[in-house]
Amino acid sequence: MRVSKGDIFERVYVNEPGLDLHIEQEEGSQVRIVVVNLPSSGTSDTSPTRNAITVEQLGKGCLTELYGLAYLRGKDHVETETHVFHRVGGGESKQLFKFVLADQAEGAFYGELQIAKDAQQTRTEQVNRNLLLSREAQMRTRPQLEIYADDVQASHGATTGQLDESALFYMQQRGISREVAYRMLVAAFLKDVLEKVPDDDQRERLMDTIDRVVE
Amino acid sequence: MDLHASIAGKEILRGVNLVINEGEVHAIMGPNGAGKSTLSAVLTGHPAYEVTGGEVWLRGKNLLEMPAEQRAREGVFLSFQYPVEIPGVSMTNFMRTAVNEKRQYEGKEPLSARDFLRLMKQKRAMLEMGDKLQNRSVNEGFSGGEKKKNEIFQMAMLEPCLAILDETDSGLDIDALRIVADGVNRLKTPENASIVITHYQRLLDYIVPDYVHVLADGRIVKTGDKTLALELEERGYEGL
Repeated sequence: MRVSKGDIFERVYVNEPGLDLHIEQEEGSQVRIVVVNLPSSGTSDTSPTRNAITVEQLGKGCLTELYGLAYLRGKDHVETETHVFHRVGGGESKQLFKFVLADQAEGAFYGELQIAKDAQQTRTEQVNRNLLLSREAQMRTRPQLEIYADDVQASHGATTGQLDESALFYMQQRGISREVAYRMLVAAFLKDVLEKVPDDDQRERLMDTIDRVVE
Repeated sequence: MDLHASIAGKEILRGVNLVINEGEVHAIMGPNGAGKSTLSAVLTGHPAYEVTGGEVWLRGKNLLEMPAEQRAREGVFLSFQYPVEIPGVSMTNFMRTAVNEKRQYEGKEPLSARDFLRLMKQKRAMLEMGDKLQNRSVNEGFSGGEKKKNEIFQMAMLEPCLAILDETDSGLDIDALRIVADGVNRLKTPENASIVITHYQRLLDYIVPDYVHVLADGRIVKTGDKTLALELEERGYEGL
């Protein structure tokens, strides 16, 4: 798929099976994608879900924004991979992917990012943050940055942690049950990705779903 | 109550006995490591501490049998020595959840958004606090003084029957200390009580206790009135 000069392509994909996007951006175009993986009620499908997004910036001054959130439980298994290629200079890309993993869920994030030799003055940011709610949950994360230009700003970070026990106790001490506190902290963790969903109704629905599935 | 408690197998409290009546302010002083913070953690049900002996009764109810949130709903409030930052959870949402969970426990209807905001406003006015903290995440990026003021604000919202102020004076300059102490004094009624845990006598110039207890090595070794605090200030804990 090609996004024409100056155009904006904006999409939210919720539980899209086998998402596999290839996007080429022309000069000054913008791409904003949010990928959401939430447990859908009633299904017991345990086959791994794979999200793959490839974006090539072919023209100058492009903006690519890729966001993702996943709440995985049971034996859920979601792998997300992004491939962002800055072929020409003056472009920007932002990536923020968050996974929350409960039970024996497994998640993976692979982020490949290339800045070509002539793609000077490119700005990129890639962040992957993960929250493990159980000892058996697993997360694999692998940022892969290949930078061939010398005048660029490229930052990346990956962290995996647990829910803050001291925050849970603080909330309980104010009379909030552990279950509700749990939900509030998970929702807070995912909030900055949810805020990237442009449609208010859809965002509300997703928040409700998260509230419902967090235990 | 003869309270014994330990953390990670180490006994910290070795038989604490204390009776607190409505309308009273009790100060607990003592050197570092005496067990002051352990006492507040045990009373509020912190999961890291194990109670190895003794009982705690609150208005005829066995406190130690309740999970932390139930103790809070029964009216036990802890002003934390180090209030926790909770990014992404707004003060308003946090406080509204807390107030409504307590109301639900008491069999009352939840407050509407409008009534809740009115209550917030009323309590802020009572404590002479601004509204700039309410739209921020809980304690996130607050200064030391703001955090302690925010604890007192939460106390005002929840109207506890037993408030435990754990080292509320630590890290406060004299102006912030006065604001916090004024707040505590304004919240005092003949029906509620407080335990003021402090290292220094300074706070007790502002919050005047009915009793002062000295905790040392996991036991209360001396009890007196407010003059005991002055005596301690002069002669130190060694002088006992």
